[in-house]
Amino acid sequence: MSEKYFLKENMEKNVSDYDFSAFKKALKMGQNKVIKEIEDSGLKGRGGAGFPTGFKWKLASQQEADLKYFICNGDEGEPGTFKDRLLMEDSPVKVLEGIMIGAFAVGASQGYIYIRGEYAKPIKIFNKIIKEAKKEQVLGENIFGSDFSFEMKLIKGAGAYVCGDETSLINSIEGHRGISRIKPPYPIEKGLFDKPTVVNNVETLSCAAEIINQGSDTYNELGTENSRGTKLVCLSGDINEPGVYEVEFGSMTIREIIQEFGKGIKNNKELKFVIPGGISTSILSNDKIDIPYTYEDIEKAESSLGSGALIVVAKGHDLIDLMLNASRFYMDETCGTCFPCREGNRQVHHMLKKAMGKGIDHNKTELIKDIGKTIRLASRCGLGQSSLNFIGSVIDEYPNELLIGGVDNG
Amino acid sequence: MVKLEIDGQKIEVEEGTTILEASKKAHIKIPTLCYEENLSIFGGCRLCVVEIEGEDNLKPSCATMVQEGMVVQTHSPTVREVRKNLFELIIASHDIDCNLNCLTCSRSQNCDLREIAADIGVTEIRVPPLDKGYDVDESSFSIVREPNKCITCGRCIRKCEEIQGVGIFTTANRGPSTIVTTFEDKGIGNVECTNCGQCILACPTGALHEVYHYENVWDALHDKDKHVVVQTAPATRVAIAEPFGAEPGTVATGQMVAALRRLGFDKVFDTNFTADLTIMEEGTELIERINNEGTLPLFTSCSPGWIKFIEHQYPEYLDHVSSCKSPQQMFGAVAKSYYAEQHNIDKDDLVVVSIMPCTAKKFEAVRDEMKEDVDYSLTTRELSRMIKQAGIDIMNLEDEDYDQLLGVSSGAADIFGSSGGVMEAALRTAYEIITGTELDNIDFNNVRGLEGLKEGSVVINDMEIKVAVANGLGNARILLEKMKNGEEYHFIEFMACPGGCIGGGGQPLPASNEILEKRMEAIYDIDKNKKLRKSHENPMIKKIYEEYLGEPGGHKSHELLHTHYKERGI
Amino acid sequence: MNSDKFLDRAHDIQDTYGYIPEGEIDKMAKEFDVPRAKVYGSIRFYSMFYTEPTGKYIIRVCDSLSCHINDSKSIVDSIKNYLGIDDGETTENKKFTLEVVECLGHCGEGPVMMVNDEMYTHVSKNMALDIIKDCT
Repeated sequence: MSEKYFLKENMEKNVSDYDFSAFKKALKMGQNKVIKEIEDSGLKGRGGAGFPTGFKWKLASQQEADLKYFICNGDEGEPGTFKDRLLMEDSPVKVLEGIMIGAFAVGASQGYIYIRGEYAKPIKIFNKIIKEAKKEQVLGENIFGSDFSFEMKLIKGAGAYVCGDETSLINSIEGHRGISRIKPPYPIEKGLFDKPTVVNNVETLSCAAEIINQGSDTYNELGTENSRGTKLVCLSGDINEPGVYEVEFGSMTIREIIQEFGKGIKNNKELKFVIPGGISTSILSNDKIDIPYTYEDIEKAESSLGSGALIVVAKGHDLIDLMLNASRFYMDETCGTCFPCREGNRQVHHMLKKAMGKGIDHNKTELIKDIGKTIRLASRCGLGQSSLNFIGSVIDEYPNELLIGGVDNG
Repeated sequence: MVKLEIDGQKIEVEEGTTILEASKKAHIKIPTLCYEENLSIFGGCRLCVVEIEGEDNLKPSCATMVQEGMVVQTHSPTVREVRKNLFELIIASHDIDCNLNCLTCSRSQNCDLREIAADIGVTEIRVPPLDKGYDVDESSFSIVREPNKCITCGRCIRKCEEIQGVGIFTTANRGPSTIVTTFEDKGIGNVECTNCGQCILACPTGALHEVYHYENVWDALHDKDKHVVVQTAPATRVAIAEPFGAEPGTVATGQMVAALRRLGFDKVFDTNFTADLTIMEEGTELIERINNEGTLPLFTSCSPGWIKFIEHQYPEYLDHVSSCKSPQQMFGAVAKSYYAEQHNIDKDDLVVVSIMPCTAKKFEAVRDEMKEDVDYSLTTRELSRMIKQAGIDIMNLEDEDYDQLLGVSSGAADIFGSSGGVMEAALRTAYEIITGTELDNIDFNNVRGLEGLKEGSVVINDMEIKVAVANGLGNARILLEKMKNGEEYHFIEFMACPGGCIGGGGQPLPASNEILEKRMEAIYDIDKNKKLRKSHENPMIKKIYEEYLGEPGGHKSHELLHTHYKERGI
Repeated sequence: MNSDKFLDRAHDIQDTYGYIPEGEIDKMAKEFDVPRAKVYGSIRFYSMFYTEPTGKYIIRVCDSLSCHINDSKSIVDSIKNYLGIDDGETTENKKFTLEVVECLGHCGEGPVMMVNDEMYTHVSKNMALDIIKDCT
């Protein structure tokens, strides 16, 4: 098998080398047709939540406002995820084009790309791209002679994973603490500076540009009914050839992705489990990965495709150590606002830390699961709600190993 | 109107109502921690979550609006389980252990957490308390902060910022290190805190309380060489009964006097006396400023929270502030001069204690300009503690009267305790002094009430005097900004606390709007039922001017009863 | 703050001084017309802003799951050992600050570390020490 290039087409690094054919096409199509095209493509948000992009744009376009904002979320940070960085580094102009198409479609005149502070290279690239685009009049007044005017600003994040949540990101752009907002109102109605705001992920916007470019029909020929097109899969962990691979939905099983693209498990070890969508998703043990790579099949297996971060874990790791690692991430990265997420993740971390090298008994794992349920049901944003998916699923899958210390020798 | 079903009851509420409010209307109590009626919605504690048919997750009822046809369960098995689990986590973060336990907490009598625990029916705590290891903030003369007890609900932050317009608190860090702190962790005493104590009223735990002085007062009372006198602020008498189970709005003046005597105070006097004195001095100052084209508008100066606010935030307006000391400090000055001389008491042996609805008074008492005229300033809450410590059954005591001279006051002094009261008292006197004729109606209703900003005008001798009243420092800021934009007034009353002193940061807890209303009604009842209702008619005030002070605004008065302010910066 | 200039300003100050001094927060409070506590609280939310001086070189080693599986801990340990400092500490000569951080977005090339803005991938223990030794 080889990669299915859809998104990886037309990778350009300079504004002057790029013809913006998709954007020009969009200008000709007009707002409604662009939105229709994206709706028809069935494109879902690639940040992790999977919200239909066309529908989001449609809602935003229907908002009456003197000013609308369009934000590209480049705050990629979930462990195991690195595909947005690749797009921002290798095809930044297409990302820009995606932003422009989206902004045009919803009627936004001001745009932002928010890139996490640790991404020094993408930040440098976008600084350059925006400058170039202004110079080439790709950004500014009456772009390409149309009546669409659009300005862009790069916002450099400063080290906070939670800002990848769209309302946290909006708070962060405004200079506030990056805590999530209470929804409703949703950003589409009342977002940045209280104006209608669309927030889309880098991969989503690249896809949108390519869909306009190649047409939704081309896109629709790829994938399955519920998972259209392709997905950038970030392969990492105990794997021979990690990397970002473009996979046509439904064309391969998870195991095939690992074998064909990843060239199997490192050091000839045996596979223990995979985390199919970043550490906010539940594990799939070795016997559950012969399923097509689609949203629906992974959901049927009680996990989620998330951001597309496929972390491969071989046998031989201390499970409690891995849980502790994930737990530390959530403990440190929760914004600290809502009590279940802040206190729950802190307590789980304490319990796991105490269990290191000793094992963890049934009472404690039950308590962790109670806390998990509380966080999932009662916390404010996606970070909290999904924070114990990984840990909970390890507990469910390997109760006996945890009891004896978490080290698996088999 | 929106029709919905809550716990099987069909109800109809206005659009824009939250589920929490709707439930209250349906007589269902949902536990809350970070919610407070006058503050913006925070939605952090998640205790108020409810189950809504068709929704996967539970929703915070404080932040979720009702919708047509909604079916809500406020106490379903899932909700109750989640609340129990959540409460365990909250308690662990509240750091109750042997060293830091409920018995010694400032909130042992009225702990929100304990009430919630009872409502939820918590039966076990499976997670150990976290030792957060923060230092107690003792940098302030007025307020202590115990960060280990803080559950970061943010009520103090929002109170300080939204209601008081000051904003000394912030949330810093994130994750497990999330804390409530001040700028650069400097501590309350080292930033632009006004000492108003509204944060204490907002705190659902014992993380914030006043600096306690009651032990010093006990020592003074037990010291045979000391002559200890006490003064009670106007607003204390309508609140002191609350910690003893009485209905808010209960007037307990006489019983408070009796209890103070039993505690061992040598004389029980009334700050009301110097409230009347304040009116004489401030009224004279107002008349002088009007007649001599002095700086106008004149700002009142009785609220030390307000004074510190303007010193930090609007120093350019300090000329407007009346030079009159507050009634607490006038009392101290009169006690340590006139009273000490009259009774031949060595100043060093005289201890002046004040009972105040206020935490800022503690700071005021130690200002350099005040020369230790007041030795200890206690809050109403501290007095209630002392009464309990002494086993005094205050509610069953017979009423007693204040001691003579410094205990006689008019109804105009009583209403100092409520927003608009100082203004009304001043107008009653100024009108009659300027015109020489008696007022037909001495009730100035347009400056009364809990409303944060009130304006009005009075015609005195063909001159229209424009007055304004602001309570709550956020409203003070609004009024000052209005002035900056050219609005003109002659006289403005500023009170740091919402509702005035009845809502002071030293008053008993809880302090809801409803309770404040009742205290306010009680204050005006006292005034209405008094024969003496104008400060200048107080015979003892006349006497002290004749015997000692000379005339209002005179040399002696200036020496004892007036002060100055300083720019503090931010 | 309500200004999309806030993060830019904070980054500028951080880059100029190596941290965000008290006086600069005062200035920001005036610039953005908010209480200084609010500016302080916002600054302290972000782990790339510091309110105390840091070392000339900030070493960030990723220890999130993918790197952790690839033994990032041994990299951290050898740096700790070499510099004699713990996570979050700065060397006495103010040259290095060490931070064990979450995902740096190079999960396929772990273990990874950053020194100031420079990213290093496939880091070994020896390589980590060489990188540090090259910092002048």
